[in-house]
Amino acid sequence: MVVITTAKPDEEVFEALERYDIKKTVVVSCGTCAALCQTGGTEGLENWTKKLEEKGIQVAAGIVSDDVCDNRVMMKDLRKIDDELKDADGILTLSCGLGEQSLVKVLGRKYPEKPVIIANNTEFMGMTERIGRFYMRCRGCGDCLLNDTGGICPITTCAKSLMNGPCGGMVEGMCEVGDYERDCGWVLIYKRLEEMGRLDLFEKLRDSFDWSERGHQREVVFR
Amino acid sequence: MANRPFSKLGEGLAKGEFVLTGELEPEKTCDLSHTIKEANEMAPYVHAANVTDSPLGIVTINSMAASNIIQRETGLECVWQLTVRDVNKLGIAGMIMGGHALGLRNVLSLTGDHTALGDMPESKPVFDLDSSTLVKLVREMVDEESINGHEIECPPTFHVGAAANPNADPMGAEILKIGRKAEAGAEFLQTQVVYDIDRTIEFLTEIKKYKVPVLLGIFPMKSYGIAKGFDTFVPGVSVPPDILAKWKGIKKNITDKKEKKAAYDEANYEFFKPFITELKKKGLLAGVHCMAVHYTRIFPKLIEVIKA
Repeated sequence: MVVITTAKPDEEVFEALERYDIKKTVVVSCGTCAALCQTGGTEGLENWTKKLEEKGIQVAAGIVSDDVCDNRVMMKDLRKIDDELKDADGILTLSCGLGEQSLVKVLGRKYPEKPVIIANNTEFMGMTERIGRFYMRCRGCGDCLLNDTGGICPITTCAKSLMNGPCGGMVEGMCEVGDYERDCGWVLIYKRLEEMGRLDLFEKLRDSFDWSERGHQREVVFR
Repeated sequence: MANRPFSKLGEGLAKGEFVLTGELEPEKTCDLSHTIKEANEMAPYVHAANVTDSPLGIVTINSMAASNIIQRETGLECVWQLTVRDVNKLGIAGMIMGGHALGLRNVLSLTGDHTALGDMPESKPVFDLDSSTLVKLVREMVDEESINGHEIECPPTFHVGAAANPNADPMGAEILKIGRKAEAGAEFLQTQVVYDIDRTIEFLTEIKKYKVPVLLGIFPMKSYGIAKGFDTFVPGVSVPPDILAKWKGIKKNITDKKEKKAAYDEANYEFFKPFITELKKKGLLAGVHCMAVHYTRIFPKLIEVIKA
């Protein structure tokens, strides 16, 4: 699994740096997911260092970190560049939103006044077909239906996340959203269950999704 | 539990009358005078008329408010179309009680076209319920007089219907979906527009086992332009080429406006009469739902077809 990111437009990132009056920055680049998405990694760090310097923003330090989203890794990595960090106006992170929030948490312990600017948009948890081809197949809803739907998720592959599809927006197996270029998730489920000889599962009337424990911030804490 | 039927449509279906429903499409306006005029024109012929809920995701006046005003102003009973696109389960449950308080007694449960297709694509697509679970919610509120086990002091009374699509491909998925809607408690089905009789017979024969009365969706075409537009722009429905050619011929060969109108009306009559008669004879239909909005002058002809 990869957390898929895409690059924000440069102007948006520079505007954010300007908004926080960042003239000298540390750049933290994710060496894992964002590196795969070409929005981080060594290459991303080099590109951003060049772009920042061209705009007159000093790069105090640049690091590629294995797991920006892991608080423990960031504590260790930031400790190594503490002198540069002390001297910088903030951090530019080439990571996903988890990475940014991990940095905010770790940085906040020592430098709560320093802003963290993110250069990417976080898209989704991605299934990888090959590098450069990532697909959303799971929304992390917390109540997996795959055992009932032939291993294809309706919450993700149906544009309306319907529990009882397909809807009237399906034409010849394709979805009305995206000009009938994407498969209707519920037709994929139908075909898969038909192949498995389990259309009884398709016919089952499902209750609406239970949001009582899912509609707010979640955490998994087991020790 | 309140005694059925709750409405003229419900009564017609219960008595086994061959029912006719029309369709009204209020637009992006707070003034319903045009819709009210059409409602008055179709009222003598139909049991009820559907009132659409922002079709194609294009925002219009709210269908609950429009249904209430149409009923109040014209006496024509409405089938309140309610999509699950814009409001969550909690909101919809409130609307069901509100709709009853406003005098509505028929509701058609629809998924609704995705917000991405319409003129406010930035809106959040809700879809907390779907067309089956909305049917189930209405039946729970009406028959069990409760929501999630909590009693409703004065419960609503509604006949709840759902949509069916004989044009769906794969048809098997649609048929099983109708099974779910029947299980949820749908009291009638209104189909998508059909022109292909063989496919329609196959579909209606398949869903007969669910024992839900079916109103066949038809779309008499007011002009060649409408027919061509329908064929081109409505996904999943095609107008047969010979029909298109006939309508084109009327447009080309008749110049007198009055004569042209009469020729279109007659052509619709000629096409739909044998179509509906055959399905009726086979015992596959409980009625017809005419979706040709802004074509109220067809109703006198249509009623001849229905009564044939």
